[in-house]
Amino acid sequence: MSTLTADNATDAAPPHDDVEREKLYVIVALVLAALTAIEVATYFAEDFVLWGWGWGDHENFGVISVLMLLMAVKFWMVAGFFMHLRFDKKLLSGIFYSGLALALLVYIAVLLAFRIFDSGGHMSPL
Amino acid sequence: MASSTAPDLFAPMPDLDVAHGGPGYPTNTGISNTKLAMWLFLGSDCLLFGGLITTFLLYKDPLPGTGPGTDLFDIPFTSVSSFVLLMSSLTMVLAVAAIEKGDLRGNRIWLAATAGLGAIFISGQIYEFNAFYEEGLGYTTNRFSSAFYTLTGFHGVHVTAGIIMLLSLVWFSFRGMLNQERAEAVETVGLYWHFVDVVWIVIFAIVYLIPVAS
Repeated sequence: MSTLTADNATDAAPPHDDVEREKLYVIVALVLAALTAIEVATYFAEDFVLWGWGWGDHENFGVISVLMLLMAVKFWMVAGFFMHLRFDKKLLSGIFYSGLALALLVYIAVLLAFRIFDSGGHMSPL
Repeated sequence: MASSTAPDLFAPMPDLDVAHGGPGYPTNTGISNTKLAMWLFLGSDCLLFGGLITTFLLYKDPLPGTGPGTDLFDIPFTSVSSFVLLMSSLTMVLAVAAIEKGDLRGNRIWLAATAGLGAIFISGQIYEFNAFYEEGLGYTTNRFSSAFYTLTGFHGVHVTAGIIMLLSLVWFSFRGMLNQERAEAVETVGLYWHFVDVVWIVIFAIVYLIPVAS
């Protein structure tokens, strides 16, 4: 007879000491604040030479890449540390990131349905 | 006659959660059913916001002559709101840490602080919507306005629901119905609150910063 056994694998061990754990949360919050400050700085320093890097119709590829990267890092930090995904069972990460992947597939499906790639990247007026 | 030794359902239990260094719950997955249900809900909620963000990205450029668009955005103001919501995630996680170590007073303070920061965020959103409306951007003004108000409005409803849940926890705590043995209730509400925060991280970048930058 087979029995179901729970797999307790996690990405990292949680800090056991209360002070150490709260210190980790404050450090994560400070890093998140710093990343947000960099995001906002892209608005105020709009003439920064790297922001306008791009080609053809893809102007400002530089600033968009930086903003997307910062967004992804902030997302991962909140999910990993504040939502404990790094310290919790991998099944929960699978559930959450599956939802995200499905959402991304919905986006791609809608773009294809609207033939967005056929009209040069811009949706033509109806 | 058998002695009446009914089990005490509210007796202190060891923390079984793997995320807290415990051995895991006695379920097939090793995860408590409440927590698993919340994660399944959050996974499905990703699809709701995925659909709304997709719609916004398709309709972010208003048709010519149909009214204002992203030029109305007040990035400094929205940045402050975003920072407030981000910091509410810190107070939330400190509320969870407080109840897990039995600090009920600290738990109440952090929960109330989280609800307060959430209320500041919602107040900012109401102010922003009102300012946009006075500039002539109604819900049906153009395709941008409909997509923008629907997306950010749905997020605002999520934050409001979170504030109600947080205030309910504070009320339960004052009534003596929330203690260290029921820390999972705070953690579950915390998961919801952090999700609302990560969704705003995406909205802030994709809806506000990238369209203005590009």
